[in-house]
Amino acid sequence: MFRSTGSGLLVARIAWASLLRRRTRTVLVVLMIAMSLWGLLFMQGLYEGMYEQMIDNAIRSGSGHLTIYAKGYRLEPDIKKLITNIEEVARFLAKDQRVASVVSRINQEALAATANYSRNAKVLGVELGAEQKHGRLADYLRQGELAFGPKARGAVVGSGLAKKLKISLGHKLVLSAQATDNEVSAIALKVRGIIKTNNLAIDDGAVFIDQAKAAEFLGIGAGVTQVCVILHSEEEMVPLQQALRQKFTDLEVFRWDELYPALMQSRVMMEGFSYVTYLLVFAVAALGIFGVILVSILERIREFGIMLAIGTEFALIRKIVLFESFIIGFLGYLSGSLLGGLTLNYFRVHGLDLTAFSEGLDAFGLDAIMYSIIKPDYFVTAFLAVLLATILSVIFPLRVLKKARPIEAITKL
Amino acid sequence: MSEFLQVKDISKVFNPEQEFEVAALSGINLAIGRGEFVVISGPSGSGKTTLLNIIGGLDAASGGAVILDGLTLTDLAEKELCLQRRDHIGFVFQAYNLIPVLTARENIEYVMKLQGKSQQDCDARVVEIAEKLGIAQLLNKLPNQLSGGQQQRVAVARAVASKPKLILADEPTANLDSGTAAELMAMMEKLNREERITVIFSSHDPMVIAKARRSIILRDGRVVQNEITP
Ligand SMILES: Nc1ncnc2c1ncn2[C@@H]1O[C@H](COP(=O)(O)OP(=O)(O)OP(=O)(O)O)[C@@H](O)[C@H]1O
Ligand SMILES: [Mg+2]
Repeated sequence: MFRSTGSGLLVARIAWASLLRRRTRTVLVVLMIAMSLWGLLFMQGLYEGMYEQMIDNAIRSGSGHLTIYAKGYRLEPDIKKLITNIEEVARFLAKDQRVASVVSRINQEALAATANYSRNAKVLGVELGAEQKHGRLADYLRQGELAFGPKARGAVVGSGLAKKLKISLGHKLVLSAQATDNEVSAIALKVRGIIKTNNLAIDDGAVFIDQAKAAEFLGIGAGVTQVCVILHSEEEMVPLQQALRQKFTDLEVFRWDELYPALMQSRVMMEGFSYVTYLLVFAVAALGIFGVILVSILERIREFGIMLAIGTEFALIRKIVLFESFIIGFLGYLSGSLLGGLTLNYFRVHGLDLTAFSEGLDAFGLDAIMYSIIKPDYFVTAFLAVLLATILSVIFPLRVLKKARPIEAITKL
Repeated sequence: MSEFLQVKDISKVFNPEQEFEVAALSGINLAIGRGEFVVISGPSGSGKTTLLNIIGGLDAASGGAVILDGLTLTDLAEKELCLQRRDHIGFVFQAYNLIPVLTARENIEYVMKLQGKSQQDCDARVVEIAEKLGIAQLLNKLPNQLSGGQQQRVAVARAVASKPKLILADEPTANLDSGTAAELMAMMEKLNREERITVIFSSHDPMVIAKARRSIILRDGRVVQNEITP
């Protein structure tokens, strides 16, 4: 890049000395870039952590990566549309290396009632052992225990539902629902546990009961309404979905993003949001560098004039100006990334405790403690944004310098 | 001998064909030999600065030619001219005009660095020239840490360090007291003698003018006297 080492060193020497000479200003712009980058990284890592958490909650407590229903069940849930070949499905999934965990459920709409209140609810007939390995039910337990007790007469209830029914541990609860024979069947249960998953569908309506009990209660001879599959990697989702569809033509297989389009939308929105913030950081860096370089060029017209007069080529002066803006941009990038990276790492490990606002967060299906994410491409994108800002922001000041005819500046006192 | 610098029919009009048109120089012809020590004097506004700027390629003439050691400077494009200035002409300005962020040493070796000279060459030359000008103790100071006279000596050192053919100095002593001015002139004279560098400077100061061996006087953009003092 430099014609000779001598002039290369000269460029670095003059650029660096000029920045030091205007130290306060240089530090301010570096800080400006660093702060905006810090904010960007912080927001991005936290937001991404947040929605990944939302998705994870939905996957872990509800659908899994893949959900299998009997044909037509999804659009019109009906207790008579059962996955009757559950054994065969279970065997197929057990063989597949991509599968991390599988659970089956019997779901039915129900009415949950106490002596004083009644609410719509959803019965989930589950196998507790499998569920515990599958999701994070144990983590979600807020009160009591994850167990259905002697004779499987117990129930684990979502926190929102419990609140609405004003019930707590040990209270009695009566579920009534339509059974396979179209008759309404009822069952009396005792609350043994209360869970809070931040998946609203569960918290506000779920009543977990023993799967065999549910089959008996609803008059199901064999089969379940839903099979949920969690995979080792999200990338395997589509291939396995296709494999399952091919193998079991009488069943329907959905991915989580098909079941919860709103969640997927929030991921897409997040991406849009991060573009906007990158644009913002870019603008801050560009404007900051632009301002500083323009002012320092205007102040130094005479200085550059002398340099040109005694035989400095304009190309060398351009290099000096570029070098200065690179130093500013690079220092800003370095300190911003460092701050942002450290902050994100802290919140990745310790989480950001938003318990104070947890009522409001519930409404969005968010956890009270948010954990951030760090991805290398945050830093790559930020670097490119700052680099581009650095280059673009010196174009105009350099044109000003060229037009100002610095030679005139020195001949006038 | 007299072929070294030729100024042929140089004219300069500022703001041509405008309301404030100024004919700063008209029909200037000069021939200056290698190694001469020349002063240009004349009343304020007579065109001294304009003439020096045109000779040094800092400003374009409206007509005529400047030929330095066989090369017609007035024909060159800015980029070429810039390299000619770097390699063959040293400038000393009334306002010193050192590069403020560089130390005295770095200012002195600046042009040599541009020329790609090695650090050893630069160091040797800086020491040699600093001794001659009595600024060896000032080399690590920044311009704003030096007095006017010291800055001007550094500026002279910068102008001669790369051994140019010609030094152009526009009122180099105007900002100095008479004692310092005399010292600076003595040094320029010494450099002229010892390094055989041609020096052209402008001045208002009779004492300074008296040091020169050729005296050119301008009035209203014309040469009214051009004689060699015996
Ligand atoms: N850039 C310019 N634009 C218009 N007129 C100019 C410009 N520079 C110089 N002049 C005019 O040209 C004439 C010669 O100016 P010059 O500066 O060469 O004089 P000088 O002999 O150096 O004067 P001084 O002794 O005051 O330095 C003056 O009339 C001046 O007003
Ligand atoms: Mg003048």
